[in-house]
Amino acid sequence: MNAASPTIAQAKDTASGRARKDWMLKYSTLFALILLFLGFALTVDRFLTTTNLLNIVQQISMLTIVGAGLTFGFAAREMDLSVGYMVGLAGILVPLMLISGVPLPLALLGGIAAGVLVGAVNSALVTLVGVPSLIATLATGSILYGINFLTTGGRAIYGGLPETYLWFGQGQLLGIPVLAYAMMLFVVLAWFLMERTIFGRYIYAVGGNLKAAELSGVNGRFYRAAALVVCSLFAAVAGMLLAARLGSGQPNAGERYLLDGLATVFIGMTMFRPGTATVTGTFFGALFIGVINNGLNLIGMDTYIQSIVKGLIILVAVAIVSRTTKLKLL
Amino acid sequence: MSVSLSGIVMQYPGTRALDNVSIDFRFSEVHGLIGENGAGKTTLVSILGGSRQPTSGRISIDGIEFVLHSAGDALRKGIAHVSQEGSLVPGLTAEQNILLGDEPRIGFGIINKGELKRRAAELVGRWFPEVSIDLDRPVDSLPMADQKVIEIVRALRGDIRLLILDEPTATLPAREKENLWRIIKTLPARGIGIVLISHFLSEVKALSDRITVLRDGRHISTLAAADATEAQLVDFMLQRSGSVAAASTERAVERRLGDTVLDIEGWKAGAVEVDRFQVRAGEIVGLIGLTGAGHFGFARSIYTGEGLISGTCRFKGEVLKGIHARTMQKRGVAFIPDQRMENSLVADWDVRENLAMVHPQHATFGGSGVLSNTREVREASKIMSLLNVKAHSPSQMIKDLSGGNKQKVSIGKWLYGADERYSLMIFVEPTEGVDIGAKREIHGHLKRLAGQGTAIIVASSDLLEIGDVSDRVIPFVNRRASGEIDQGNFSENRFISAMAGVLQ
Repeated sequence: MNAASPTIAQAKDTASGRARKDWMLKYSTLFALILLFLGFALTVDRFLTTTNLLNIVQQISMLTIVGAGLTFGFAAREMDLSVGYMVGLAGILVPLMLISGVPLPLALLGGIAAGVLVGAVNSALVTLVGVPSLIATLATGSILYGINFLTTGGRAIYGGLPETYLWFGQGQLLGIPVLAYAMMLFVVLAWFLMERTIFGRYIYAVGGNLKAAELSGVNGRFYRAAALVVCSLFAAVAGMLLAARLGSGQPNAGERYLLDGLATVFIGMTMFRPGTATVTGTFFGALFIGVINNGLNLIGMDTYIQSIVKGLIILVAVAIVSRTTKLKLL
Repeated sequence: MSVSLSGIVMQYPGTRALDNVSIDFRFSEVHGLIGENGAGKTTLVSILGGSRQPTSGRISIDGIEFVLHSAGDALRKGIAHVSQEGSLVPGLTAEQNILLGDEPRIGFGIINKGELKRRAAELVGRWFPEVSIDLDRPVDSLPMADQKVIEIVRALRGDIRLLILDEPTATLPAREKENLWRIIKTLPARGIGIVLISHFLSEVKALSDRITVLRDGRHISTLAAADATEAQLVDFMLQRSGSVAAASTERAVERRLGDTVLDIEGWKAGAVEVDRFQVRAGEIVGLIGLTGAGHFGFARSIYTGEGLISGTCRFKGEVLKGIHARTMQKRGVAFIPDQRMENSLVADWDVRENLAMVHPQHATFGGSGVLSNTREVREASKIMSLLNVKAHSPSQMIKDLSGGNKQKVSIGKWLYGADERYSLMIFVEPTEGVDIGAKREIHGHLKRLAGQGTAIIVASSDLLEIGDVSDRVIPFVNRRASGEIDQGNFSENRFISAMAGVLQ
């Protein structure tokens, strides 16, 4: 009954010990990123040039947006494995609509609607039917994959895309790629929602302790569903930007965004608030992936080896988080 | 012919779960083991069953001393443990479950199905010839009592001398219970001793030859079941740490009771039944009972509607439809649950975030959905000073606080932004694991809130607490509200006999 409470001195001591450990954990990944950056800068000629750095930003912009969406899912303790195919779907639908004469704003709205629709199906399966999100989104992902190839016949959709649309993916504003602005817009939006609004607070609440949140009067079902809708919605945005960048809609273009997107969140979870998915963490996670991809490309390393390197990095990140926090993904 | 525990001590960081316990379990008796939650029953039987090792103390079987390193070790010495939750594999048949892990084989790991059937049937027949169970049915399609029998048969597979049954009847309907009792009764005559843990006193008394009572990790008494009365057992189980009557006379202000806030009729939630229950504004009603008596479940069901089968709930004169945490909270009911880390707080959050959980809109920019950092800190600091939460800042992690301070946050999140928002506040174990000083402060706040006209329900296993804060007390016995005790009649004896179902 009366558990012996430690004295104040003891409490302080353990707290400061923990604080030191926390600090090292929080910043070790960031430190690794800096080392990696310096390493490439010193050893690879073309790495530290304005063109290449802007290139990195351009390369990670879609990935960051997918990762920012997934951050909502992770925060609510829901996983979305359909984001890669959602990127693909939006990247096909919008060019298809544009080519068949739909005005640009409507086509973009259509892409967003597709994201919301897929998210709504995912969240209905999870919160109303009760299918675990990992399984539900694995299945809807497979369905989207099929749809992507059926609608395109497996071929790229190109030709006749309006210049304004392509500008989103290829244009520049004040010497900086438009994609970079798009990325910053969505990162700031996601950060704001998660860190500064009741909406984000409740997403963290249902992920942190669903029972406590529901007993506090929070609508657990709604916030879990909302997190899954954000996952799909952000993936749809990334898909529309990707097609604009590629200048065509390609049925398999989105696939790598699932694994890389998850990796950004995992890496991010080692930083700032270890064990918790945060938008800032995810952003640096994406930067991490971007620098590695870019550096290894410049060295001329085989893409398959890159895939192995990325897999190892994800393992290390997840191992760090699992060992130091009570990580429960499912 | 017995297993003897002598001088068993189990020390956990900060608590002593068992303190110098010595008991003799004979192979010819049903030995009832009773005590409230936290008394040490579970720790004791897990030591007996080999799954935990005591800090010190000796275990001997027929006078020969042993060290039990694991559950398998205990099994080889003839001690088997049938746990409360059940250990059957659903989907497998009863016979497959009986011989799980010891299947007869043809060779190459292939199971000899015919032999398995024969041996399973033989085992059931040997121990319980009067029982007929369809052994080739999936075990989860059998009645609950039959499932228990299958578990017991499996436990008796080896050469067993002592069988530990942990709450064997907890999940059974009344009719099936008696069948299981008859079966259990036959074992001691065949040289198998039973250790029976149960929350149902009448059951323990009816089944056992001797009964041991534990309280706070200490061995209070072992007595012949025939000589014990239920009132006496309850008396042994509960701590007598002070005078309830003395505490209740210290009541500072006589509160004026207002209108009836909550009026419940014909309530049936899970197995709990309450005919009529009312609370008035400014009144504190205490709910007491032994573990499993249903008072906690009842308090919870008013807010969550969990397990609600029938009943009407009139809240501030209005008949409510659809009882659910979210709607009740919006109507003005607060629920401060027990087991705060599981039911109330987010472990990864700091004090500020936890305090803002129920009413975050009180620290936003002009009532928008956008949170203001400075306002959150200000509101959190207000609650921290109101409830005297000891944390170095609102940004201290909740898990670094002591039990009392965590509990204050768990209460404080309902008071965030405004003090008088709730017409009814329901507390379950409001001072569980809380030190004396914080306990007194929390009691003060309960009375203060009632003084402002809040109706309060407190379900607690701390009788001193109930005596201190309540205006009247409803005892629960066997999942029924039974009678009522007025403040004038408060006394520990009165509470205890009411909880034992012996009305004086």
